[in-house]
Amino acid sequence: MENGNSSGDTKSSPKPIRCKAAVSRKAGEPLVMEEIMVAPPQPCEVRIRIICTTLCYSDITFWKLQVPPACFPRILGHEAIGVVESVGENVTEVVEGDTVLPTFMSDCGDCVDCKSHKSNLCSKFPFKVSPWMPRYENSSRFTDLNGNTLFHFLNVSSFSEYTVLDVANVVKIDPSIPPSHACLFSCGVSTGVGAAWETAKVEKGSTVVIFGLGSIGLAVAEGARLCGASRIIGVDVNPSKFELGQKFGVTEFVNSKTCENKRVSEVINEMTSGGADYCFECVGSSSLVQEAYACCRQGWGKTITLGVDQPGSQICLDSFDVLHHGKILMGCLFGGLKAKTHIPLLLKRYLSNELELDKFVTHEMKFEEINNAFQLLLEGKCIRCVLWMG
Amino acid sequence: MDKAPFSSNEGKPIKCKAAICKKAGEALVIEEIQVDPPQAYEVRIKILCTSLCHSDVTFWKLDSGPLAKFPRILGHEAVGVVESIGEYVDGLKQGDVVLPVFHPYCGECRDCKSSKSNWCARFADEHLSNTRRYGMASRFRDSSGEVIHHLLYVSSFSEYTVVDIAHLVKISPEIPVDKASLLSCGVSTGVGAAWKVADVEEGSTVAIFGLGAVGLAVAEGARLRGAKQIIGVDLNSDKFELGRQFGLTDFVNPTLCGEKKISEVIREMTGGGVDYSFECVGLASLLREAFISTRTGSGKTIMLGMEKHAAPISLASFDLLKGRSVCGSLFGGLKSKVDIPILVDSYLKKELNLDSFITHELNFEEINKAFDLLEEGKSIRCILWMDK
Repeated sequence: MENGNSSGDTKSSPKPIRCKAAVSRKAGEPLVMEEIMVAPPQPCEVRIRIICTTLCYSDITFWKLQVPPACFPRILGHEAIGVVESVGENVTEVVEGDTVLPTFMSDCGDCVDCKSHKSNLCSKFPFKVSPWMPRYENSSRFTDLNGNTLFHFLNVSSFSEYTVLDVANVVKIDPSIPPSHACLFSCGVSTGVGAAWETAKVEKGSTVVIFGLGSIGLAVAEGARLCGASRIIGVDVNPSKFELGQKFGVTEFVNSKTCENKRVSEVINEMTSGGADYCFECVGSSSLVQEAYACCRQGWGKTITLGVDQPGSQICLDSFDVLHHGKILMGCLFGGLKAKTHIPLLLKRYLSNELELDKFVTHEMKFEEINNAFQLLLEGKCIRCVLWMG
Repeated sequence: MDKAPFSSNEGKPIKCKAAICKKAGEALVIEEIQVDPPQAYEVRIKILCTSLCHSDVTFWKLDSGPLAKFPRILGHEAVGVVESIGEYVDGLKQGDVVLPVFHPYCGECRDCKSSKSNWCARFADEHLSNTRRYGMASRFRDSSGEVIHHLLYVSSFSEYTVVDIAHLVKISPEIPVDKASLLSCGVSTGVGAAWKVADVEEGSTVAIFGLGAVGLAVAEGARLRGAKQIIGVDLNSDKFELGRQFGLTDFVNPTLCGEKKISEVIREMTGGGVDYSFECVGLASLLREAFISTRTGSGKTIMLGMEKHAAPISLASFDLLKGRSVCGSLFGGLKSKVDIPILVDSYLKKELNLDSFITHELNFEEINKAFDLLEEGKSIRCILWMDK
């Protein structure tokens, strides 16, 4: 069956679209607002028009990085919400006009891992920070006006008025949800809440410690609060995060810069008489993972890492400690959630007013002001800054 | 009902033979020692047989640091009978068959009551004391009256030893004692790791690094849980034949992998990695390999080996982030008094294979030969009989 044709329909196949995008041309330099060409979706792909997008620290990590897997010129951005503009062949899951969330986490639904309840890492489209579309080798849908290839980012590339996604990276959602809230489920909120609910399975009455009170850390707090954790200790170098954190359920605060001669883990071990039930590392620093591990409780303490560190970084642990103290160290991407199964469940909890999302959105701007959003995040002055397209 | 008559040595020190480690790495010396009577919460037991576990060898070689103490009575895997009991010891009488266990279980603390782990917060410590409740006080004295140190609250290389009740499990007298002694450490550690720590489910895939007694016991545990693929990794290809008796389906010898890393080979064999991997040697570098041999998204790595040189473990954070987990475990996550009787039962029902672990038997006096056999990789478990 030809593209877009059925039962004698003369609907023409999708054409390339010319639109605005914020292109990252050089590591660490302001993004360039320019017109680009977005090719039509291939089989099993979907082209969407972005409604709004936000900035996540992982975008910054790969914007600053000067070595692979960073690459330039690239369209960054991976937390967003959009509307389907056109679909490629063999796409039945969504149709033109559907409201969707793009997710960097692939969910093909078919492979051994997607079928297993234990894993959220699709093995058909293994997670990697790739410059390309996932299904077709070395294939990009973006070119600049000189015809040069622009690289994709995390299967999403949302810093563009239009983008192309594989159907494995698309989740159809209820269009009545306010876009500035819905887009948060495409990465940050799902990652944090998922880590507390799904990966750690925080129980009522637990003691939880969260290292790093950015969007992810605060989402973990929100998730832990909803699980009934009795103590949620937030650790950050920025004292203003405490007041903010309280809105998300943080009960106590430790400023890691003002611990005097003690290590943060010592302070926490003292506060908790021996360590927390769950420690979450939400910054992306191996030394912080080591601190988190050092203050999770012996016997059954779990340390969960969510932060994305520099490629190649190593976590070093004392072997006596690992063998003798019964603690578990685990990492998760996207909070351990399967995009297509779990996002709808989280959205339900939002709609029933369990999950509160207003407090995540601290700034709203026009897409053209994206470099201001970068500045705000680099200076630690925002949680989520929503960028609205035209 | 009258209490059974206690031994004539009740309340008195006993003179008996023990194999003493006087200096790191040197042959043990069999000498007469004196074993004091048990204090409150302690039990003096007569060892029937004991075996050598690699952790004994690690402690034997340790010549520096707070864990190195001399002279010392090593040994922590054994079976014995109760000779006399101290105050407040309930449920045990002379003649009861017991297993001493290095890992404590008080049964009363929050952790012992939780099903989450076998941690006992009440008695968790750094293994620095001689007795559980009396610090550096020792129940052993040599012929000149000098203190001899305990090992891991057991010290089974002696005809008699004194053990705290938190480290003792009463077992059925039906099980042959040499088979029972294996459950006091090695086999329980391995089977427990598959059963309790990993919770291996039917149809899983498993990789075991190091096919000594613990590794083979992991295989046995995985087999009993219905794992469909059990890959053994060892430098000694002879281990495959033995391993098959315990359920090994595949074998990898790292020296025959050419340029490839073990983890690459395993990932290829299993279409992306195993569900569970177990490190049963005690090498940080091997733990790293075991870690990346598991599937992303769900892989679990369990460390059972005691690091030989206290080397730090180093894991790539990206490998961890992709949904893997790692944890260490002592005594296979088992709560001794609860779980060992279950394993004894499983043996008596002919489900759990213990016989194949025993590759050698010697008299206690030949204990140094047992060390040689283990170091040369020729034995799995060598049973040392006290009275033969």
